[in-house]
Parts: sequence; C-alpha cells; structure tokens
Amino acid sequence: MKKKQSKNRTNKGIALLLSIIIVFCILATVVFSVSRKISTEMSNSAIQNLSESLDLMKGTIEAILVKEAEFQKLIAQEIANIENPEGFVRSYHKNQTMVKLSIILSGKTEGISNTGELFSEAELNFSSGKTVDNLAISESYLNYMGTWAYTMKCPVEKEGKTIATLYAEYVYDSFDKSLPNGFYNGKAMLYIMDAENERLVLKPKGMGERSAGHLNLEDFFRANNILEESLRNEVFDCIKNGKNILFYHDVRQKDALNYMWAVNDGYIYLIGYVPIEAIQQEGKTVNQNILIVVIVMLVAFFLCCMVYYFNQRQQNRIRKEREEEREIHNKRLAQALQAAQIASNSKTTFLSNMSHDIRTPMNAVLGFTTLLAIDAENPVKVREYTKKIMASGQHLLNLINDILDVSKIESGKVVLNIEEFTLNDLVSSIDAIIRPMAKAKNQNFHLEVTAIKHEYLMGDETRINQILINLLSNAVKYTQEGGDIWFRIVGLKQRSSQYEHIKIEVEDNGYGMTPEYLETIFDAFTRAENSTTNKVQGTGLGMAITKSIVELMGGTIEVFSEVDKGSLFRVELEFRIPEEQADRQFWKNSGISRILAVECGEACKDIQTLMKNTSVTVDIATNKQEILHNIQQQYDMVLIDSDILDVDGVEVIKKIREMQADDIPILFLVDYDKYNTEEIEQILSMKNTAILVKPFFVSALKEKISEIQSKQNQTEELEIEKVSTLEGLHFLAAEDNEINAEILTELLEIEGASCEIVENGQLAVERFIAAKENEFDAILMDVQMPVMNGYEATVKIRALDREDAKNIIIIAMTANAFVEDEKEALEAGMSVHMSKPINIDTLKKIVKQYVKRKE
Amino acid sequence: MEKNNKSNMKKIAAVFITAFTIFAVTACGNNEDDSKNLISSEQQEKKTVNLFGPMEKTNPNADNIARTAFDMTVAIAEQKLNLIVEYRTYTAENYKEKTYDDVTLDRARNNMDDWYLLNPDTIQILGSEGRLADLSVLESAKNLREVVKTANVVNGKLVAIPQEVVAHGLFVNKDMFDKYNIELPNTPEELLECCRVFQQNGIQTPIGANRWWLENFVFAQAYADLYNGGNTEAEIKALNSGESKYSDYMRSGFEFLKELIDNGYIDAEKAYISEAIEGERADFLSQKTPIVMAYWGAANTETAYGNTDFELQVIGFPSKRGQMPVVSMTGYGVNVNAENFEDAINVLDIILSDKALQIYTETNKVISPSKNVEVDCIEALKPLNDRIEENVYVLGSNAAMNVEQWGNTCIIVRNLLNGASVEECMAEFDRLQQEALKK
Repeated sequence: MKKKQSKNRTNKGIALLLSIIIVFCILATVVFSVSRKISTEMSNSAIQNLSESLDLMKGTIEAILVKEAEFQKLIAQEIANIENPEGFVRSYHKNQTMVKLSIILSGKTEGISNTGELFSEAELNFSSGKTVDNLAISESYLNYMGTWAYTMKCPVEKEGKTIATLYAEYVYDSFDKSLPNGFYNGKAMLYIMDAENERLVLKPKGMGERSAGHLNLEDFFRANNILEESLRNEVFDCIKNGKNILFYHDVRQKDALNYMWAVNDGYIYLIGYVPIEAIQQEGKTVNQNILIVVIVMLVAFFLCCMVYYFNQRQQNRIRKEREEEREIHNKRLAQALQAAQIASNSKTTFLSNMSHDIRTPMNAVLGFTTLLAIDAENPVKVREYTKKIMASGQHLLNLINDILDVSKIESGKVVLNIEEFTLNDLVSSIDAIIRPMAKAKNQNFHLEVTAIKHEYLMGDETRINQILINLLSNAVKYTQEGGDIWFRIVGLKQRSSQYEHIKIEVEDNGYGMTPEYLETIFDAFTRAENSTTNKVQGTGLGMAITKSIVELMGGTIEVFSEVDKGSLFRVELEFRIPEEQADRQFWKNSGISRILAVECGEACKDIQTLMKNTSVTVDIATNKQEILHNIQQQYDMVLIDSDILDVDGVEVIKKIREMQADDIPILFLVDYDKYNTEEIEQILSMKNTAILVKPFFVSALKEKISEIQSKQNQTEELEIEKVSTLEGLHFLAAEDNEINAEILTELLEIEGASCEIVENGQLAVERFIAAKENEFDAILMDVQMPVMNGYEATVKIRALDREDAKNIIIIAMTANAFVEDEKEALEAGMSVHMSKPINIDTLKKIVKQYVKRKE
Repeated sequence: MEKNNKSNMKKIAAVFITAFTIFAVTACGNNEDDSKNLISSEQQEKKTVNLFGPMEKTNPNADNIARTAFDMTVAIAEQKLNLIVEYRTYTAENYKEKTYDDVTLDRARNNMDDWYLLNPDTIQILGSEGRLADLSVLESAKNLREVVKTANVVNGKLVAIPQEVVAHGLFVNKDMFDKYNIELPNTPEELLECCRVFQQNGIQTPIGANRWWLENFVFAQAYADLYNGGNTEAEIKALNSGESKYSDYMRSGFEFLKELIDNGYIDAEKAYISEAIEGERADFLSQKTPIVMAYWGAANTETAYGNTDFELQVIGFPSKRGQMPVVSMTGYGVNVNAENFEDAINVLDIILSDKALQIYTETNKVISPSKNVEVDCIEALKPLNDRIEENVYVLGSNAAMNVEQWGNTCIIVRNLLNGASVEECMAEFDRLQQEALKK
C-alpha cells in the first residue's frame, strides 16, 4: 500500500517536472524567437543604416568631385578669355584641395605647371575613361607632396575651339574633413580605394588602426584573411562593374560586415568593415535586457519553487514526526496495555496463589483453634495445637511481610538505612541462621571470605541480611538433602579508594532452574510453578525483593542455573569505607599494639591485610623455629591457628606462656567444624585463652578482646538475665482491637505483669494523667486508633508537666513495620518501636533494656 | 527560538526584496537633464598631431611587438597631453614605386605632417635642408648617449632622436650550421667558406637578402678600422676635407659583395626587387636559407623572426676585426613648419623620456638611446650584444660625415645588384664626395 502511494507520488512528481520543463521549453523558444527576431530586425535596420551612411558619404564625395569639376570648368572658361593662359597657370597658388594646376596648349605635348615644372600628360593615366561631370579623371597616383592625388582634365575652349587642356590635381586628403570621423561609434573602418589600381588612397589614421592593411585591395584581403576565391572573384566583379557589395566575413577573429561602395560610377570605392557587434549593439542590448528579465524571472520562479519545496518538506517532516509520535504513542499504549494485561494476569495468578497461601495457614489456624476449643482440657493436645497455630501464624506473618515489602519497593518508599556495620556481624548472623537450616537437611554449608580489605563498612545491614538470607534460605530449600551450599564473600579490586567492592556468591548443587524460569525469576507476582503444585511453599516474592534491594544499593545480581545441577547467584555491591578513628581508639584503649599470629597459613595474610588499617603490628610465625624465635619478643596477644594443635600445640602454648606474661591472651582460630572438640576444651581450660571462630575478622577479634576484658561483668549480667524481666511490671496499653488487647493482656499476665487497656490515644492520655506518678512502668501504644492516634497521644503525654511523663517508656505497637514508621514513632517521642504481632521475647528484651536504663 | 529564526528570516527577505527593488528602479531610471540638447557636452573634439611613419605589410592576427612598444609610449603622451596622434603611413607596393624615403622627403618638403620617423639618409637630407627642428631643447635630449647625439647632429642642430639604437646583424640558423658542422663566420673569408659548404650541400642561395640591408656587409668592412681604430675623428675629418676618399674605404666591402653575388651566394635579382624581411623571411623560417640580415628588433617581433622553429643566433657582419654589428639611427624629427609644432615637440619629449624609453626598451628588448635605461636582451641577441657592450661596432649613418652614408650606399649597392661593376660603384662614391665638397 505504502509502495503504491510512493509510486503514485513519484509519478506525480515526474509529471510536474515534465510540465515545468515543457513550460520552460516553450518560454525559452518564445524568448529565443523574440530575441532572434529582434536581432534580425536590428541587423536589417543596421544594414539599412550602413547603406544609408555609405550612400551619404558617396553623395558627399561625388558632390565634392562635381564641385571640383565645375570649378575647373570655370577656371577653363576664365583662361579661355585670357591672352596668356600659361602665365595664369604659373600664377596659381595651391590650396588644400587643388594642389597643382597645369596646362598644355593644343598641338603641344608638353605644358607647364604652377610649380614651374614642365608638364606632360604621359605622367598620368586617363585610360579608365572615368569622368566627373564630363571631365576625364585620372588614375590615382602619389603626387609631388607624397600623398595620393588624382587629376581632372578640362578642355579650354574659345569660340568653339579647344585652345588648350587644363589639368587640375586634387588630393584625397581633402575628402578627409568631409567624411565622418569614425562611424558606428568609431568601430567601423573606412578606406577610399582607387578602383583602377586598387590602391588605398585614404586610410584611417588612429594609432590602433594600422593592423588592417593599408596598401591595396590585396593587402586588405590578406590582412583581414579574406581568402575565399569565390568571394574575392565576386568582389572583383562588382568593382569591375561599379556595383556595391556587402558581405559578412571575420576580421581579426570578429564577425564583421564588409562593404565595397562604388563612388562616381565605380571610379573610387569606399571600402571597409563594421564589426557585427557594433551593428547589432542595440539588438544586443535589447537581447541582454530580455535575458536579464528572463533570468530574474527564472530566479524568482526557482526561489518560489524552493520556498514551496522547503515548505512542503517541512510539512512532510512535521507530518512524519507526528505519525512517528502517534506510532510510538500507539506502541506505548499497546505495550502499556500488554503490561497491564500481564500485570493483571500476574496479579490474578498472584491473588489466586495468595488466596491459596493465605487460606492454607488460615485454615490451619482456624481448624486447630476449633480443635483447641474441643480439646481444651487436654494439655498435651493444647500445646500441640498451639504450636501448629503458632507455626501457621508465623507463616502468615512472613507472607504479609513479603507482600508489604513488595508493595513498598514498587511504590519507591524504601529508604536504605545506611549505618556502619561489620562483615563479621553480618557473616555471623547469617551463619547462625543458615547453618542450622542446612544441618537440618544434612547439607554441607561452606563459608569462604577472601581478599576483603575493609570489614567495617557503611550500608543497610538489615537489607543486606535480607538479601543473603533470601538467597541462602532458597539454596537450602531447593537443595536436596546431603547437598552442598557455598557462601562466598570475595573482595574485588576497588574502583575507588573510598569504597569496598564485594562479590557475594551463593552456590548450591541442588535442583536448579529451567531457562524459562530463569527469565522470570526476578519478576514480582510470578513463580515457576504455582503454589498448588510447588514442592516448597513461599510467597514467590523473595527474589523480586532481593533484586530490587540490590539495585537500590547500586549493585547487580546475576543468576546461573541448570536443572539438577545447581544454581549460582552472584551479587556485586559497593560499600563506603567508614572513617577509622574509632577503630584506632579501640586498640589504644585495649592496650594492644603487637600481635603474633602463629601457623595460620593463608589466613595469616588475611589477618595482616585486615589489620593493616589498625595501629596494631602483626608478626607471623609459620613454623616452630620462628615461633620460638619470635616469642622471645614482647607481644600483647597471640593468635594461634587451631591446626597447629595437630603438631604439638600444648607444648607450643606452654612455651609461649613461659616466655610471655600470664595475662597475655592467647586466641585460637578454629573452624566451625572443630568447634567444641576436646582439644579445644583442653586448651580453653588454660588461663587467659579463648577461641575465635574462622574466618578472621578484626571486629570479631575486637569483640573477643572486649569479651575477655569484661569477663567478670558478664558473669553478673548473666545472673540478672535469669530473672524474668516482666515480673511485677504494670503496663498501660492503648489498643482499639479487642482481640489484640486480650492477647496482650494474657501474654503479660503469663509473664507475671499486669496491664490496663484503654481503647484509644485520648483515653490513654487521660488515664496517664489520672495515674499516680510512676504507677505505670511502661506504655504500650498502638498507632492507628480512633479519636486520637498513638503519635498524638505520645506527644501529649510527653508534654505533660510531670516527671514520669518525660521518662516513661512508650513502646509503639504497630502493624506498620517499615523503617519510616519507626522513625516517625521515635520522632513523636516514643521510646522504641515494636511491630505487630507482639512477640513476648522481643518485649522482654526491650523492657529489660529500658527498665535497666530507667533504674 | 524557532519562531525568532523565522521572524529573522522574514526580515532579511523583506530587506533583500526592498534593496532589489530600489536597485532595479535605479538601474532602469535615466538621469534627466534640464537641457533639451541631446548631444552630450562631453563630446569635445581633441587636438591631433600628425605622424608620418613606415608600415610593413601586415599578416592577419599577428602582433607587432615593436609597434606595440611604440604605441605604448604614444599612449602615455596622448593621455598626458590630452590629444590624439594620427598615424599616416606609406609602403611601396613594389620596387618601381616611390620609396618610403622619397615620400617622406616629399611630405616633409610640403609640410604635410607634424613629425616623422626618418631613416638616416632622410635625417641627413632634411636636416641639411633645415626642415627639421632642433631637438636639443627637449628635456629628454639630456639623457641621450653621446653616440646618438653625434650621429644625428646636422649643422650643429640635433635634428632627430631615435627610440632605439638599431644594431644590424646576421641572423643565422644555428641548427643548420651545426648540421653541416660549420663554425659561425668571423671574417669575410670564413663567410665565403660557409656559403661554399652550404651550397655544396644543396643550399643554392645561402644568404637571403633584400634591397635595403646588403649595405651592412659594406659598412662592416669599410669602417671596421675607422670606428675601432682609435682615430675616428681625424679620419672623418680627412674624408670631409677630401684628403681621403670614401671609395677607398668602400671598395673592399663592394668587392666582397660582388664575390658573394658572383658565387650565387646572394640572389641579386631577387634582392633587388625584395622589400625588407618580406623577401627573405619565408625561406629563412622554413630553413631553406641559413643566413639573413636584419635589425635587432626583428629578433623580438613575431612579424619578423621572433618565433622560429630552430635556434636563432644574431651575430655581427664579418670583418677583418671579427664580427661587427652595424649600428644605425632611425630617428624621430619634427617639421619646423609643422601645423601643430608645439604639440609635436611635447609628444616627442614624452615618448623619449626615460620613463617611456624604459617601457619601450623592456617591451622590445633593444638598446636604448638613453644612458639611463638598460635591460637584458634575449638569448639569440647575446653574441651581437656582447660586441656592442665591448664597444665594437660601426655606424651605418653618421651625420658628421658630409656624404650621407645609409641612403647613398644603399642606392649604390642596388646598382651593384643591378649589374654595375665595383669600379662604377666607386666612381659614384667619388662623385658624391665631390658634390659634398662643393657645398
């Protein structure tokens, strides 16, 4: 269709072009014809004009000749009446025209001239028979003055008898003043030629006019390159017959009109040429003007065409842009529709899954609750049912948390809580969670930390935890019993000295994933198999959350997997390295400046690397001799790899103890697998010894040092912990939900505490005002309540003018479990934030912490 | 932004169209004059000054550099003096007609023109008749070389001044000399030998000649000692007083010429009726003739020998003192009775000024009469120029001699060409000397 349109457009364009060309051809033909016609007319007119000019000159010369003849006749008459004709002639003084006067008396062959010389007709040639006013005229000749002249002879008659012949010599120079001083604007050339001897007897005299031949007709032809025999013959014929002739011929490479104009019946000729450009000057000017007008019109036409063309092009461009925009818009709309459909489908599937996932534990809760009502009297069954209800509730809670997380991330409300953390804490907590899970499935959990340069880092530890637990728990879940799980943290080359670049790998040799599933693994609301067929239950949101968090942290996540071979998740993150002043202060306060690391192989280098940024010197002893040599020096602490114990560890320690003071702590680096073995127990029984679990982290070392240094205080604390923290405490609880209020009351009562429930914030404030000072140990404040919410109530309580209003612990109890919620709670004046559902252990910890502070 | 651009474009287009309209209207309009007279007031007739000079027959589309150079100097004068120099010419159709010199004498005697380009003989004749004005009053005359003054002074008056010192020489086709392994001739004997070899090789007439310039052979031999022997003034004095005879000087030259004619090295009949260059040019250019004679400027002029297909060299005429350039002076003279006498004098002063001569000399590559003007010559003229630079030359005309040399010798040589014997020619010299002594 488009092709057809384009073809039509091209055809139209060609037709338009052809039309324009035809119009221009017609215009050009018309202009050419007009200009040619003008030229021809002008040329004819010029020829006419030239002929008239030549006729005029001819007439002038002929008139001069006739006047000369008449004058000579008058003289002849005068002489006839004079007795001494020769005396008259002798007395003649030449003038500018008649330069010589001679007379030959009849019957004599010689006469006399006015110059005093003898005169004979033999010097002259009258053979041509040419006459002027019936007087014979001679052939032209060079006279005594060195100029061209002619002589007319006139009979002197007296009484009917010829008594003498009078000869008068005239010079051609006398014509000069009667002829135009250059015609056709000085461009025409004019000569006078004697027809008899073909000599040029009067010539142009300008300096630049000497190039056209001056001698005779032959010279004229030669100089002007007129060599065509036929033309020359025609010219000669015309001259012979006394006719005029006009012909075109190039003269000095310019087209010229040549003329030969007979005067006095062809006695003399006006010959010369006029360049065509001089003849057609007017025509040329008119044609030039026509040409200018045509050019101007053409330019104007082309300008219009260009303007039209550019306008069309611009409009086409705009139309095209609009079409493209519309197309893109349509495409986007289609994509959006598709995405919406997909999202809708996903959400439908998700809701279907959720429906199943929520209903399943809910069903369990309700079912067991029913059973609980029936078997309320049977404590064994009650415990079993409550245990199962607890498990189902926990699952439901996880499900809800995940859904909330997803919606939060999707709406962009997640804010990272960047704080300093240590890789040690991170790895320890992960290890503490995952290892038991793996152990439960008889899986081998391998933990490797290598090439880490900084273990104190800035980041959102909670979220990192979330990522790692997600990945690792998945690995545990989707790996068969007895399988292997690798957790690797590898320090990469730093891109900036201020950031630690870390690669985290979670690898397993479990079930693996299909390529199709890999494509959608990070998509929310999608799962490879729906939950009704899935072997392992879950929300299907974990990976989407993980990816979102990784990207939020500016990192990348990749996954490689093969069915039945296993999976590898690779996360790359960068964490800012914190200021290390605090760390240096620690080492100063703890009095440790030099450590000896014994027989720890590769781990020693990691120790050195990690300790590089502290003020502590680390010496390494890799064999016995080195140990014995180094131990002679004073160290503040000794680190011994547990592997050394295979050799002769106890002996080495004894040796160290001999050399070093008893209070120098000796720490054993042990693997998790060897933890709590007998040998370790034996060593731990020795004075000032402790164990440090591999991998080595400075923070772990610091913790251990702190632990050792505050061993005694710890003993006291442990004793305190044994006492129930809630015993005898009295709480004020603001909770609008009756069931939650009841559960709370029951839980607190179980722990030996009492609780007074109010239904909203307003009532809580009023009740607190009514209470005696320190009547309540803490306030449990729900946030979302009718009349007055928890935040407002807290603000009002804190604003009360009584001592305990400032100090009382207000614990926020809210289903809003996000960081921002916690921040808002603290800003309102609450002491701590605790998300629902209430976990009694968490409550205990908080109460313990804050009650202690209060004390 | 785009809107601004469009607005600017519109403004520019408007300005352009307005300017174009104003231009078109102005261009098409006429300046109306209050006067009803349609003849332009600027059309004033200029003064004219008449010059009579020779004219060689022209070839179609050929440029004559020598004439161009002269025209350039005249153009300076025309512009400076706001006048027109009208050029009247004469060229004889054949040898039977009056010569240029004859016509010049007639015209000068009848006061037909204001100023003339004169050959040495007419300078001497018209000068001695008192028809030429004394040009020593010209400012430009102060710059003239001494030799120029000497050659043109008649009865104590400087009657003519040339625009170039004309040196005549032998124009030889070096390629042909090389072809037959012949050295360029220095002496008359060597030239005879050259001609013999050429003739042997099929070149029947080795020397192309015309009726004007064969006299150079005579001058080269006759006056080689007189002008280069260090006793010039005394020898001329002896000639003028009749103590020595011109015929004694001339004899050897005529005998040599006679020998050349008798051996057929020169075609006397053809030479007798040939005009300068016209007669021998074609054969020389087509390499049928290896030797011709001509004036310095002919080597630079396309209408003469300025463009040859072979290596051209110009050497002096053979003499007992080696190659001898013959220097003559064709000069400009002003008629004492000229109608436009003042203007003619002024024109002459300008065309002979150092500035004009510099242009003339550079264009023609000739020897300047002004001691202040010197230019390099073309390669072909180097041998001739070297001799002149060495001050080795003879004068073809000398107004200080009471017998006119250039014209008379020319006529006597023509007699020789026409069959007269050397003795008859010498007798003619003796007659001329006697006539001169009588004056």
